[in-house]
Amino acid sequence: MSDLMLIAPELIIGITGLIIVLAGLFMGRSSKNALGYLAVLGCLSAIALTISSFATTGSLLAEALVIDALSQFFKLVFLAVALIVCIASIKYTEGNDNAEVFFGLVLFGTLGMMFVASANDLITLYVSFELASLSTYALAGFEKKNARSVEAAMKYILIGALSSALLLLGISFVYGATSTTSIPGIAENIDVLLNNTVGILAIVLLIAGFGFKIALVPFHMWAPDTYQGAPSVVSALLAAGSKKMGIIAAFKVFIVALIALQADWKIAFAALAVVTMTYGNVVALSQTSVKRMLAYSSLAQAGYITMAFVVLTPMALTGGILYTLAHGFMKGGAFIAVGAVVYMVMAKNKDSEVPDHLDSFKGLGKKMPITAFCLMIFLFALAGIPPTAGFMSKFVLFSSTIEAGLVWLAVIAILNSAISLYYYARVVKYMYFMPAEGERFSEPAPYLVALLIALAGVLAIGIWPEPFINMAMQAAEVLLPL
Amino acid sequence: MPIGDFAFMIPVLPALAFVLTFFFGKKLPQGGAIIPITAIAVSFIISLIITINLLQNPEEVITQSYQWFSAFNVGILIDPLAAVMLTMVTLVSLLIHIYSVGYMSHDPAKPRYFAETALFTASMLSLVLSDNILQLFISWELVGLCSYLLIGFWYQKPSAASAAKKAFLTTRIGDVMFLAGIVLLTTDLFRMVNGTIPEQLYLLRFDVIFSYIPQLSAMNTTVLGFEVTHLTLITLLFFGGAVGKSGQFPLHVWLPDAMEGPTTVSALIHAATMVTAGVYLVARTFPMFIAAPGSLIIVAYLGAFTAIFAATMGIVMNDIKRVLAYSTISQLGYMMLGLGMGAVIGAEAVGISIFHLVSHAFFKALLFLCAGSVIHAVGTHDMRELGGVAKVMPITAATMVAASLALAGFGIPKTIIGTSGFFSKDPIIESAYLFGAESGSWLPYIFAIVAALLTSFYIFRLIFMTFTGEPRTDYGGHESPATMTVPLAILSIFALFFGAISSETFKHFVSETFVNNFVHMDIHALAELGHYELAAGHGHEPLLIVWMPIIVATLGLLLAYVIYYQKAVDVSRFVTRDNPLYRLLYNRYYQNEILTEFFAVKIVYESISMATYYLDRGFDWIVSVLSYIVFEAGDSFRKVQTGNVRHYATAVVLGMSLLVVLVKLVMEVI
Repeated sequence: MSDLMLIAPELIIGITGLIIVLAGLFMGRSSKNALGYLAVLGCLSAIALTISSFATTGSLLAEALVIDALSQFFKLVFLAVALIVCIASIKYTEGNDNAEVFFGLVLFGTLGMMFVASANDLITLYVSFELASLSTYALAGFEKKNARSVEAAMKYILIGALSSALLLLGISFVYGATSTTSIPGIAENIDVLLNNTVGILAIVLLIAGFGFKIALVPFHMWAPDTYQGAPSVVSALLAAGSKKMGIIAAFKVFIVALIALQADWKIAFAALAVVTMTYGNVVALSQTSVKRMLAYSSLAQAGYITMAFVVLTPMALTGGILYTLAHGFMKGGAFIAVGAVVYMVMAKNKDSEVPDHLDSFKGLGKKMPITAFCLMIFLFALAGIPPTAGFMSKFVLFSSTIEAGLVWLAVIAILNSAISLYYYARVVKYMYFMPAEGERFSEPAPYLVALLIALAGVLAIGIWPEPFINMAMQAAEVLLPL
Repeated sequence: MPIGDFAFMIPVLPALAFVLTFFFGKKLPQGGAIIPITAIAVSFIISLIITINLLQNPEEVITQSYQWFSAFNVGILIDPLAAVMLTMVTLVSLLIHIYSVGYMSHDPAKPRYFAETALFTASMLSLVLSDNILQLFISWELVGLCSYLLIGFWYQKPSAASAAKKAFLTTRIGDVMFLAGIVLLTTDLFRMVNGTIPEQLYLLRFDVIFSYIPQLSAMNTTVLGFEVTHLTLITLLFFGGAVGKSGQFPLHVWLPDAMEGPTTVSALIHAATMVTAGVYLVARTFPMFIAAPGSLIIVAYLGAFTAIFAATMGIVMNDIKRVLAYSTISQLGYMMLGLGMGAVIGAEAVGISIFHLVSHAFFKALLFLCAGSVIHAVGTHDMRELGGVAKVMPITAATMVAASLALAGFGIPKTIIGTSGFFSKDPIIESAYLFGAESGSWLPYIFAIVAALLTSFYIFRLIFMTFTGEPRTDYGGHESPATMTVPLAILSIFALFFGAISSETFKHFVSETFVNNFVHMDIHALAELGHYELAAGHGHEPLLIVWMPIIVATLGLLLAYVIYYQKAVDVSRFVTRDNPLYRLLYNRYYQNEILTEFFAVKIVYESISMATYYLDRGFDWIVSVLSYIVFEAGDSFRKVQTGNVRHYATAVVLGMSLLVVLVKLVMEVI
């Protein structure tokens, strides 16, 4: 019984998901709104449970799952993202006949991510990874009458299938060489892979598998199309949630299991980090679709987080882990804000081709003042301007990079940040310095609540970073004991 | 619950009021004025209870500290010094807010006005109750920002916009010095703990700073050939910040221009917030000043000089608000002089200076609000167009006379009869005499006493020109509404009687701040560190010295009466362009020509723009080439994204192959 208590948050999310799917069968279209509130409730109680058990450690199911500061921290990230996505989706799924499927999939996807955070075995990790992936494939194509949404899902699932195959291949190489799938077990039997071309192959295959989720160049190409085509709330889940699943999986597999091969994978990650952040920022400059711009910015942010693998000091990992939390709030919030704008555009013109075009943001400060203000803060946070979460996490990460002597990497990252300010500030310019077309639009309440929660997160981490840094530090100590 | 638990609400409530008024003010009557008024009223009540409690139980100083990040904290410190400031700021700000309801009733941008004044008040309150220098600096900057917004409130007027800019830039010079002082202090403190900070030690909290004073004064450095201690350097940099904020020479130039904002804003800036911040900063860090050789003397001389310098300009101004502006600068000089007198009277200096600050806040707020009342009714600032206003605005006239009596410092020595200004200004002048007697340097005393004569003259010149005689133009006018006259009446009671009832208690209360409270400072030991010789005892000044201020004040009143009421002397004989002295004063010592046009524009601006022009062209070229490359790269990379899934899969496989080759190659090389 006490074992099950360790995964109580997961149980709550899973059971809530099942109830929603079942109950939806017997409910009319108009009453399905209640399901959204149920999902929000589930997320809230899971968050409360996770926070209350932050300090506990333990393992269950023959050590296939472990509970420690690292897993709890990432669960908090996933649950927080799931929470704001669920809240915003109450409006998005209003009057939709398939609302129960939507919320069920969001919760199951979150469940998969949470299990990845706890996984201590490659098989558990892979299965949980797939649970999250399959749920999000379906979510991306949720608007089945919308060609863009279907195209987005199609590309996502095809590249996803390829990446899963590569990931499995990588796992089988590792299993073949070490004859275990337990993550600590691999670390103990690593000798065979040392100085061996199979080791390099296994590393690259695993990187490709995780890099697909994290969206590292060149495994990223699905991301812009999918983020743009999928419903905004789903893009928020993908960019803010499932991307982090790739990061925690990579943390566990590389830093715990394959730490002995760090010389090899550090080179790979260094190359990927530099290419990814530069490519993401440069291409984001010329985008006119805001969702697409955010997708490329999300690449760049993944590049920054990847620096933690290259620097590999406890402080750098703290920075990387803090960054995942900060990114969850700011990117999730930004997508939700864009979702609110898309909602406004669609309400006026149902056939709008590119509802998230920059022109839709003209004069948003007048039309949707709260949304515009929140979006401005999120964009500034993404650019790394104080006093926001983005600044704090960049500060910790970049300063640890300099401390570790990798000045060249820090310089590249800071130059990249400077470039990124251009395209973030451009949206702010459209929102506040261009004349508004049309009347003031009453902002839908669920979107506002979700935005304000994300805003609170972004500002809290920026203004009072100490508790968050301490949590991230505890999580980092699990990976790399001091 | 102890009242201290509510202390955090003092700045938080006005800050909340700012947010609410800003967003919802438009929908409420009177621009949502009720929100800031309620918030500040509650803040005032809390401050008042805290102050009374502190008076009865001097040991119950409120200290709260929370870790912010690494060795820095946020916290609250309410000792006697902070408590009286909080009470004064909330009270004056409250009255000004109430008055504004009437004064701003015709302005369409009321919600913005009330939101910004609420933020202004919140920043000032948070400045006052900071328990560390960093938090104080942040609030300091917020105060600066709000003053910029409010001075430029009517930003459609070019003169208002440029006055706001001038205020912001001029005080910025001081802010940079203040920041430099903080940076120097922080690095010194880090060096003292050898880079490892003990648990729960917050470096920039005042008690920690003060406990390191002996070490700071032992550190020496050479600046421009002078050997100075770090402590002196830090305190002088802090004082630089105070010079900017509190309008001391030569950074006072922004204050008269700041009149471009609404008169209520002038009242807020000149009385309760902003300008008093500089004086408060010096008072707050007084233990550092008294331990720093030379710093207090510089504070004293600059303060005394500013007092007389501004007063001379006050006597020739024709704009009613400008006279008051120069009067503020002059009075701030007195406060600085009072603090500088710590060189002879020790911690008591804080008491007399802050007492003058508070009583000045009352009568200066009153003067501005009266001026505002006149301007509101007749629509002109120029005293030459006024005259006889007392007939149409009796309440305003009566309260203004009360304020003027306080400003000039009328009262009878050795009794309890006297205006607030009398009880607050005279001790400063007397301590200046003591300073002369102890050190042989009489300059501060002479400056202070002559400035007192001029003060009395210029303020009664204003009274006689505005309120008596026949109207010089046809201005119409009417008495102001009750929301305006009631605050006037309340303030005039304070201006007249506050000093008489509270003078001794107040000064004693505040002087104790550094003696037996939160920070236990041995002022005498510190004074030895600073090479100051504190006078053993005082209060035995010759009778003539005690009576001197009141004599010169009466003299000033009589002069003004003879010239401007009886017209016994033909003013136009002196007030002409041919009189070099008048020309000098009227042109404000050619400060505009020397400081702005010659120094700022010719030397600084033109040389910098010359240098930057060429630099700029170089950078421009680099930047445009760089951005061209980046944008071109972006456009061509964009084409990689074909939208075709087969290409995507190819990229994945190709990327993997490249990675394998890369890792393999690098490993071979290593």
